[in-house]
Amino acid sequence: MASHPGSLAQQEARFGWKTVAPSLLLIALLIVYPVAYNLYLSFFEVKLSGQNEFVGFNNYFDLLSDRAFYDSLTVTVIYVIGSTLGTTLLGLGVASLMNHEFPLRGLVRGLVLLPYIAPLISEVFAWQFIFDPVNGIYNHMTVEVLGISDERVNLIGTPGNALLVVIIFDIWKNFPFAYLMILSRLQSINNDLYEAATLDGATRWQRFWHITIPELRFVVGAIVMLRFIWNINKFDEVFLLAPNVKTLPIYTYFTAFTGTIEQGLAAAIAVVQFLLLIGLIFLYIRRVLKW
Amino acid sequence: MVIRRILQKTGFYFLILLVLLFTLFPFVQMLSTSLKHQYDWGNPSLIPQKLNWSSYSELLGLKKEEVKVPESIKRLLDNPKLSEEKRQKILARFTSTSDVFPFINYFINTLLIAGTAAAISLLFAVFGAYSFSRVRYRGRSGIQRGVLLTYMFGGVLLMVPLYQISVHVGLANTAIGSILTLVVIYVVQTLPVSLYMLGNYFRSIPESLEEAAQIDGCSRLKTIMLIIVPLSMPMLVTVYIYAFMIAWNEYLFASVFLKNFNEFYTLPIGLKSLFVSKNAIWDRIMAASILTALPVVFVFMTFEKHLIGGLTEGGVKE
Amino acid sequence: MRKLIIILLATSLLWIWQGSVIMAKTNISFWTTETQSERMKTIQLILDTFEALNDDIQVKLIPVDENDLPTQMAAASAAGNIPEVIEMGSELAVTFGSEGIMDFGAHEAVINKIGRDDFFKGALQLTTSPSGQAYALPYHGWVQGIWYRADWFKEAGLAPPTTWYNILKAAKHFNNPAKNKYGILIGTKPEGFAEQVFTQFAISNGAREFDADGNLVFNSDAMRETLEYYKELQKYTPPGPQTWRARDYYLQGKMAMFFYSTYIMDDLSLADVAKGSLTGENFDGLGGVGFDSNLVKNTKMVSSFKNTQDSSYGVIVTLGITKAKSASKTSAAKRLVRFMYEEDAYVTFLHMAPGGMNPVLRSMAQSDKFMNDPKGIFKHYGKDKISEIIGGLDHLQKFEIVEGKMFPASGEIFAQKIIPQMIYKTIFEGVSTQAAMDEAEAEMRKIINK
Repeated sequence: MASHPGSLAQQEARFGWKTVAPSLLLIALLIVYPVAYNLYLSFFEVKLSGQNEFVGFNNYFDLLSDRAFYDSLTVTVIYVIGSTLGTTLLGLGVASLMNHEFPLRGLVRGLVLLPYIAPLISEVFAWQFIFDPVNGIYNHMTVEVLGISDERVNLIGTPGNALLVVIIFDIWKNFPFAYLMILSRLQSINNDLYEAATLDGATRWQRFWHITIPELRFVVGAIVMLRFIWNINKFDEVFLLAPNVKTLPIYTYFTAFTGTIEQGLAAAIAVVQFLLLIGLIFLYIRRVLKW
Repeated sequence: MVIRRILQKTGFYFLILLVLLFTLFPFVQMLSTSLKHQYDWGNPSLIPQKLNWSSYSELLGLKKEEVKVPESIKRLLDNPKLSEEKRQKILARFTSTSDVFPFINYFINTLLIAGTAAAISLLFAVFGAYSFSRVRYRGRSGIQRGVLLTYMFGGVLLMVPLYQISVHVGLANTAIGSILTLVVIYVVQTLPVSLYMLGNYFRSIPESLEEAAQIDGCSRLKTIMLIIVPLSMPMLVTVYIYAFMIAWNEYLFASVFLKNFNEFYTLPIGLKSLFVSKNAIWDRIMAASILTALPVVFVFMTFEKHLIGGLTEGGVKE
Repeated sequence: MRKLIIILLATSLLWIWQGSVIMAKTNISFWTTETQSERMKTIQLILDTFEALNDDIQVKLIPVDENDLPTQMAAASAAGNIPEVIEMGSELAVTFGSEGIMDFGAHEAVINKIGRDDFFKGALQLTTSPSGQAYALPYHGWVQGIWYRADWFKEAGLAPPTTWYNILKAAKHFNNPAKNKYGILIGTKPEGFAEQVFTQFAISNGAREFDADGNLVFNSDAMRETLEYYKELQKYTPPGPQTWRARDYYLQGKMAMFFYSTYIMDDLSLADVAKGSLTGENFDGLGGVGFDSNLVKNTKMVSSFKNTQDSSYGVIVTLGITKAKSASKTSAAKRLVRFMYEEDAYVTFLHMAPGGMNPVLRSMAQSDKFMNDPKGIFKHYGKDKISEIIGGLDHLQKFEIVEGKMFPASGEIFAQKIIPQMIYKTIFEGVSTQAAMDEAEAEMRKIINK
């Protein structure tokens, strides 16, 4: 069979497109199209009857003049920064602990992963019970046993404190992810580096600072970025534990599905959230990771 | 020196214990409350005063308790128009205690939806990832990056449009349509990462193996099935389970699309709706939480080695 | 590979098995706000019996949490699959009726079949539009009250909580957060419960949403006074936003008073049953636990209290038929609703929660079959008390009705949780009383001007 290079390359290309097409099609249909549709909806007043009314940039103007939106923005920023930092730092700490040999290490490593893999909804109920103002063990410990506080508080119920609980919950749930990635990187660091450093008289801390940290730089960079993306978009963890913490996704949900249902406005919030995310990621990649 | 070593050791174990306490405490609380009687909930101690297994037996339908049939029901059923057979059937349903929380039913639903979504995702990803890692054509790296970019679109952003679309297409008002929508949504949610994880893995398979097969006359498709797939088995299992776990735990989309079809509830929304199934709820809800968590924990522990590899290589999405 | 194939095979098999379930015919759906599994069981039995008697009809039972009902209806009507029959509070029936979802004609037909005169006037009034059409059919009702520890009150020499002054005084007296004890439970979470409790206070102070001419008079001195008082009472409620579920604290002996419907009679009787199972040798192990075997005996209830005027509050739960897609569905829905008023079906329904579910038909209220409840709760409280509660259903005071006139906008104000939001904001988000009321008033105007 005679073939010239052009047609071979063409064949190759055709095969390449054919094999990737089903995935692309699905992604286009269920992600790209909805996102575009969302953008489109954001310029309309969406009626449940189906007759949408074009309102130009009104939804955006409404949004930008609404105090609740800025509150939500602030909450989102605090939540994202707090949970991302916490997750990464705790993951780093636990990974360096688990990097040492000790009896039953295998079991402990497995147990630490539980929060990450158990179904979210079941964990939420346990957390709510722990923080119950009257019957929960948290208040019992802080007020009666340790005497840190002299009054019982409803941490999850009161908006200011709930944000803190949600951040801690998020750290608890997701630090195993950071820990796993960091641990596997730690284990691949060449031991010779440490030995050489020890011979040169480096202290434990110096070894950590000058060898471990640089080796971990990229994996930590990646974790921070991933958690950042996920946490900005995070809905269920916040909504199920404390719906009174109105991060942008929660705010979108309430706007779209409760009270006076305003799906056009909700679409506009989602668009703003997406632009924000893209902008921050871009900054992060350029400034922090210097990629 | 020795004292310092001992101190260091003690400190180290103390830290390990602290980490374990932090991670496991909520689960201990869950277990403890699930075994307490109602009068005992206000008691901060984790050890139940008196063990209460009734929520578990109730949830699993093991409770063989005589249900008293009120007089009014007897009169209601004492209708000449009702055949004896029908009467018995109605009564049997009333006195059975198995459907408080149709755990087995929800379990099967979740298994089906998550299992199917993960299988489709895997199938698509095998071919897509092969294309990304082995086939050379223009635009490849562009698409690859584009696919990873879809990582950034979160659930709520897609929620409104997806719901609107499924309503317009008419999928949202039938059970089968809603389930289908849900499955496809889960496939798409897991696809970008499946593609990425598999693509990386395929690149690590020596190309020479494939070339040898092609010289033997295998088509590209056959090469994938005969060389690539068998060689990537561990990674395929990882990707499958990872996709499965995402669908298994998902709440938001399931709650919107399955709301009207309670016989098709998945475990997460079944559990959420269980919360309003009783006024004094904590023992029941905690027992159900434990039951829901067990299968996932079991699967994870069984496949732990595979999964940990996969998680760290792919940077798993949730 | 084998593992994977097994998984795939098993999955497809399960699909086929499950497929046979999907193929089953469906006809009309029945949404209920009675989400408790025990109650669902009884409703299911009634529906099963109905199906057995009507071969051509299949009814699907779907539980919906009352606080989610408006959201769920909005989603369902967007998807074009609203249920044919809904069991819901009258406020929501009024809301859905004003939105044009309910089938007034169908309601009229069934009411006439049952006999209009048999219904309590007060109950019918709450479900009748200003132009005289039926938003839904009243089905059962409960009365709200303050339930309190009569033994504690007696010991402290306090008068029963029948006036604002007495309530506040007792709440202050018993509140002792350091000992984990609280004075009173009022609703502060942005849910229906908050509005139910608040309404009774507002009415006892003469504050209303509308005047008899239909003007919005929400933003009044009397209302402001009520909200201030409510905020004061909140200081003696367990910390943070609370809803009815906090009544657990009362059952644990950690609270002196709580607002609740007569449904608690059923729950307290359960506590009584629990007591039964905990006595004898079991009881020894319970030393020091806050389980009070005399709790039921020591609990008393005040259903009416006053500041400037007497107030009694309650909810009429209705059966509503929606505008269905076909005449056959409408007819099926009508037959189902009619069936649910037939004596034995009705008694069966009401006996799910003796005390909580009370009849709105005169004939049923006097029926011996009804008075003989399976748990013996009526006997425990006495026939007079029950008759008093049922009688109260004819004289409920609510925002919707002013001087005998119906103002449907109040239903929608309830559905959108405007008052609960206002309470939550002013207590927990630091919004001033006046600002919260202004905001609520603006929201109400939006509804009126729609």
